[in-house]
This record gives sequence, structure tokens and C-alpha cells, in this order.
Amino acid sequence: MAPSLDLANLPDADVVTLAQQGREAAFRELLRRYERPVFSLIFRMVRDREISEDLAQDTFIKVLNHIDKYRPEFKLSSWLFKIANNVAIDHLRKRQLDTVSIDGSPHASSAAEIEATSFDLAARQESALDEMEARELGNAIERAIARLRPEYRSCIMLRHVEGRSYEEIAATLDLPLGTVKTYIHRARHELREALEDVKGHG
Amino acid sequence: MEHRHLLPDEIDQLLDGEAGFGVAPLIAHIEACPACRAELAEARQVVNALERLPHFAVSPTFADKVMSQVQVFEPWHVTALDTVKQWVPTSKPARALALATTSVLALVISVLTVWMAVRLDAFLFFFELASQRARAALFDAVGGAIANAFGSAAVDALRAGGMTAALGVTGFLALIVVAAVGLRALVGTARRRRT
Repeated sequence: MAPSLDLANLPDADVVTLAQQGREAAFRELLRRYERPVFSLIFRMVRDREISEDLAQDTFIKVLNHIDKYRPEFKLSSWLFKIANNVAIDHLRKRQLDTVSIDGSPHASSAAEIEATSFDLAARQESALDEMEARELGNAIERAIARLRPEYRSCIMLRHVEGRSYEEIAATLDLPLGTVKTYIHRARHELREALEDVKGHG
Repeated sequence: MEHRHLLPDEIDQLLDGEAGFGVAPLIAHIEACPACRAELAEARQVVNALERLPHFAVSPTFADKVMSQVQVFEPWHVTALDTVKQWVPTSKPARALALATTSVLALVISVLTVWMAVRLDAFLFFFELASQRARAALFDAVGGAIANAFGSAAVDALRAGGMTAALGVTGFLALIVVAAVGLRALVGTARRRRT
């Protein structure tokens, strides 16, 4: 039995070292720290709770089963977000949904397809987005994020929800720094326009 | 700068809170230009709303589902180290005492090992002597027990029969003792079950 360790106060690098030594408590600590951010990133990309949980599970299984390959010169969180973004983008590509819009997929060719791919907030009473209902602006921005292109979405989430620098986002998503800046600028612009529409209608 | 409004990139610089030589004129312009100030305020509103977005909770079984598919392998040296750590006292004086005791023991064992390596012939001599004495003591004890049970004639017969006979009798006696202990244990278990 391992001696008791105050894992919650250790930095990521130390917890990873303990996980590399095969301590299950360290694996669970990493899960505790990152399950919400990783799930939230994927959920805002995929917009389906069940699928998002499956993808978040895949992300952690990949990372934790290869924890011995972790290089300490990179942030663990960057590695996790990179895998999370990749699994979410792969899923969206498989589904051929470039954008999951509340108005339905842009690839939908019939009324039935539009309905099937539409993002119906009213029908998702039990979804995590219910948490947003009380906050009008929060709800409006969630809807606006759902309309963004996936690559804009991951950049803007990492920048403003996870508080990552442009350089970290570029390293995490394997994108040139200039591209990241452009994506974030465009995403902010589109979000502003979407919120102005909401205000205009309100 | 005074004759034009801020470019989108310049608004972004202010939004990101960048510092540096180029930012001061942008801040000066914002202070002087209501249109650009309003533009920046609107952009900041979006950023603030984004930064207030919460993290969503996963289902309570999420961690267990993940861990059921993660291979946790504890290397032998980690297990060994943990076992040793369990024996290390927590208080400082106890740790110092344990260290001193371990050091003395290690020293004694080391000296004995070196002595045995240097004086291997003497060690073998003493070992042979000790084993002879142990054998003689065993024979006396077994012989005494047999003489009490079967008489001195049996002891003489055994001495004439040699080592094989002695071993056979010892095994037989041991079997009787084991059977008696086993029977007693069985009876004890049956009694406990009944009560």
C-alpha cells in the first residue's frame, strides 16, 4: 500500500511522476483536476452530453495509458486539450458536421435532415445547457459558440474559458501562431455580431 | 492615430491586455475617441461573458469508467520502497533510534560476513562441530523418548539398524503428533460451530 500523499497540493508534473510510478491515486487526481475542463471543451464542440462523455473518456484513456510517454517540458493540460480537440474534431468529421447549428447542419438537404441535425434547446431539458438558462447572456453566448466553425470554437474556448496564451493554443492545436490569432479574432467578431442580434431582437 | 479609428487588431491587443511600447498610443486614443471606446467596451463584454462560462460536470461514474480501462502497473521497486517506508517511524527521535539500530546491525552483519569470507576454513570447522553436537543431542532426545515408550531394547535395535531406522521412527512419531493435533483442531472447530 502506498503511503498517504497530499496529491491535491502537488503540481501536475509531480502527480504525473507518481502516476508513472503506478500509483492509482495519482491517476484519479489527474482525472479530478481535468475531467470538467476536458468534458466542457468537448461538449461545446460536439453539443451532445452522452457522446461528449464517451469522447472525454477516450481522451483520458489515451493519455493515462500513455502517461509514461509524457514529456515534462510540455504542460499536461496542453496534451489533454490537444487529444480532446482531436477526438472532437474527428467525431465531427465522421458525422460530417462542420457546424452544429441550432438551425441544423449546413449539409442538410431536406427538411427532415434539418430537423434531425438542429440544436433544439427546448428538447434538451436535461442537458447541461439547462445550467445556462438562468443567465441570458450566458445562454446567448453558448448558442453563438455552437454556430462557430469547430476550429474557431476550440481556439476561443482555450483562450477565454481555459485562459491559455496564444502560444500555448498554437502548440496545443498544432497551428501557426498567426492562424490562432486570426481564428480568435474572427471568433470574437462573430460572437459579437451574434450577441448584437440577440440584443437587437430583445 | 488621432486621424483614424482603431483597427480590429489594435482592439484585440487592448482586449488581450498586451503591454509594451505600441500600446500606449492605443490607450491614449481610446481615452479620446468615444466610438473606439464603445467598440472596445462591446468587445470586452463578449470576452467577459466567455470567461464567465462554467465548466460542465461529468456523470458521477465517469472516473470509475475511465479507470476500468486504464492499466495501472506499479513497478517492483516502487512496491519495495513503499513497504520499506511503512516501517520507517514518523517521529524524529524514533527515526534516529531506528537508524542507529539499523546501522549497528548492518555493521555487525558486515563484519561477520567479512570474517566468514576470510576465515572460511574456521567457519566450516565450527559449522561441522555444531552440526555434530546437534545431531548427538537429537539422537539422545529421540533415544530417551523411545526408551521410555518401548524400553531400552528398542533403542539398541535402532542403534543396530542405523540412521534409516532412526529416521523412520522419528517420522512415525511426528505423524502421530500431527494426527493428534489435527484431530484436536477438528473437534475444536466442530464445537465452535455448534455453539
